[in-house]
Amino acid sequence: MGDEGTTPPSRPSFFKRPSLEPEPARPTAPPSPPEHAAPSYRPAPRGPVIPPPPPPPTLPAPGSGGFDPYAQALPRTRTRLLFHGTGGSLFGIHVVNVLLTLVTLGVYYFWAKTRVRVYLMSQTELEGSRFAWHGNGRELFWGFLKACGVFGVPTVLLIAIRDLLDVPAELKYVAGILVPLVFVVVLPLAMVGARRYRLSRISWRGIRFSFRGRAADFVKLFILGSLLSSLSFGLYYPIFEVRRHQFMTEHSWFGNRRFRFDGRGIDLFWPFLVVVLLALPTFGLVLLWYLARKRRYLWDHTLAGEARFRCTVTAFGLFLLYAGNLLLLVLTLGLAWPWAKVRSVRFLLRHLSIEGPLHLDEIQQDARAGSATGEGLAGFFGAGTGFDFG
Amino acid sequence: MRTRSDWRGDYLDGRTAHLRPAELRLMATGIEVTVEGQTTFWPYLELRQTQGRYAGEDVRLERGGELSEAVIVRDRDFLVSLRQVAPGLGGRLYEPGQRSLRLGLTVAAGVAVIALGVAIYLWGIPLFARAVAAQVPVAWEEQLGAAVVREVAPPKGRCTDPARQQRIEAVVSRLAAALPASVPYRFRVLVDSEDAVNAMAAPGGFIVVFRGLLDRTDSAEELAGVLAHEMQHVVHRHVTRMIVQHASTGLLLAAVTGDVTGVMAYGLESARVLGALQYGRRAEEEADRDGLRMLLAAGIDPGGMIGFFEKLASKEKAAGPTLPRYLSSHPLLGERIARLKALASARPPAPPARLLADYDWTDVRRICAGAPPR
Repeated sequence: MGDEGTTPPSRPSFFKRPSLEPEPARPTAPPSPPEHAAPSYRPAPRGPVIPPPPPPPTLPAPGSGGFDPYAQALPRTRTRLLFHGTGGSLFGIHVVNVLLTLVTLGVYYFWAKTRVRVYLMSQTELEGSRFAWHGNGRELFWGFLKACGVFGVPTVLLIAIRDLLDVPAELKYVAGILVPLVFVVVLPLAMVGARRYRLSRISWRGIRFSFRGRAADFVKLFILGSLLSSLSFGLYYPIFEVRRHQFMTEHSWFGNRRFRFDGRGIDLFWPFLVVVLLALPTFGLVLLWYLARKRRYLWDHTLAGEARFRCTVTAFGLFLLYAGNLLLLVLTLGLAWPWAKVRSVRFLLRHLSIEGPLHLDEIQQDARAGSATGEGLAGFFGAGTGFDFG
Repeated sequence: MRTRSDWRGDYLDGRTAHLRPAELRLMATGIEVTVEGQTTFWPYLELRQTQGRYAGEDVRLERGGELSEAVIVRDRDFLVSLRQVAPGLGGRLYEPGQRSLRLGLTVAAGVAVIALGVAIYLWGIPLFARAVAAQVPVAWEEQLGAAVVREVAPPKGRCTDPARQQRIEAVVSRLAAALPASVPYRFRVLVDSEDAVNAMAAPGGFIVVFRGLLDRTDSAEELAGVLAHEMQHVVHRHVTRMIVQHASTGLLLAAVTGDVTGVMAYGLESARVLGALQYGRRAEEEADRDGLRMLLAAGIDPGGMIGFFEKLASKEKAAGPTLPRYLSSHPLLGERIARLKALASARPPAPPARLLADYDWTDVRRICAGAPPR
């Protein structure tokens, strides 16, 4: 429903736009066999720039036929993620989602979430292939119910004992200790669980992502980090953030390839200190600078094989993004959410690239299961995991 | 369009990230997929189409279990031919021909969403909040109200001159007598020494009058007007309803906006506050209207209430421009006065006896003489 206009058959719309970045020459690409040069089949080069694997004779090399305006530009290989989604298409999905969610008193919410994710993933392209989302609404719904059972109900009960019910004081005391404890354990569980679920449902060229970190390790890291942060009056916090990110990244895999992270927490300490000192005199605007700095740092130290991510987010860019989205949502009472979402994703991908060879041909399928319970838990906290696309 | 049965695409085996060219031939019951000289037959009934609904999106057909094989066809005319070769596929595959129908349905859904959202906001949530608030025990409200009052008017800042307090309570009981016997509240009026021209009602029957307001009343009728308004807030359980409305508006906005995190959540919060202001103005109008009716029922001259509002209005005008209506928690004073006047003139004015006729009202202002100024 709500799809975009059809494009002329021989020219799908995403072929029109070459990548904004200068593209390097592709010295290893052999000329493609003439039968593949037909315009309806891979007519023009696009952003992707990895030297393709030595192809079998029938395999057309991506982008090797036709005119390449950037040939001989840069020797470095740089890959970009492209996003083709539009606010209008997403609005079409969204509006039906809202209607069904209202009519079903919220039950449809989980299916709605899935439809949005399918759209966002399908509109994201790397090397000429789109990502895909494999989750479904049913599993999200069960995940939510399970999370309610193991966390929601007990927590509400504990809070009721502490604040409302007429029970002996000792019981109230015990409940009072348990409530924050439950949160401090369940929050990291939710973060890990949600990431495990989300990565396990994303694929590219049929290869699944996965997350293989042990939940117990992250809970330990999280409790220790929280303790140190409060004992050091927040000064440990930037280091804690990097540690968390490191854990999340280093246990993420694409097929049989592991992501790596080579940042050190101490590098964000000084920027963080600047923020603490300047927050009041700059009315908090320095926070944007820190957010941009942090985002760049975390991405720039993330590696996929030999390739390294590059992030070019600036504070001013973030400011424009946030201010624009804020205005959009306030003026439309939230109805313009699809445009705000598309703006955010576009912004994220516009400022992200991958430098270095990806060696995608070496990647083998190595999928891991991931249940939706963690995703359900995360719903209670609104916990971000860094990979949320919708 | 002429039906084309032979197509080119890419094949993914689900084990490697290797894109291999495939030749596809559309048959009556399935597709013959040829990859590197090997041909397999993919029956339509085993296929899922997971991509290819939007312009520019490749058509992706998957087959098999969780980690499936897939063929990707870049030309979306493939779908049209597929329809022509195998017309009986029903909803399994995307039907490009129904695009305008889908578009129409989407537009209809949009209209329905707006209508439903507005209806829920204007009627659904207020009705729901009223029903829920009616179920809240008065004892709970009193607990909440006492906590609010402790916060807003701490005991050490209160004015407690007993003789003058009694005069105020005389006004309250005169008003309360006009309420139906089913109203479960016991009204307690506290005077706070803060110099603010304000009064407020907390749940459970608590009313706080600030000294600044008391100082500007020139007669018992004027204070009676203010108290009647605040007592109606209590009787209508406006605060309790506001709490329920706040929670429900949050849910409605969450439904309308999907998932919102980070900075975008602030945008939503402002939308929510704007929404709450509208409910606030409605509550004020209700309290004005029923407050005035209560005055009339108690045989108190409503001119005091109207006169007091006019006094505030002239002061407001002197103070400078006011907020636009939709940004304010209260309706504009001018509108309130006009509405009150209309209501008061609708009833034939019974010759009202003056309230507390034997008492010099300006004396009540000295209630705070003994209290420390704040």
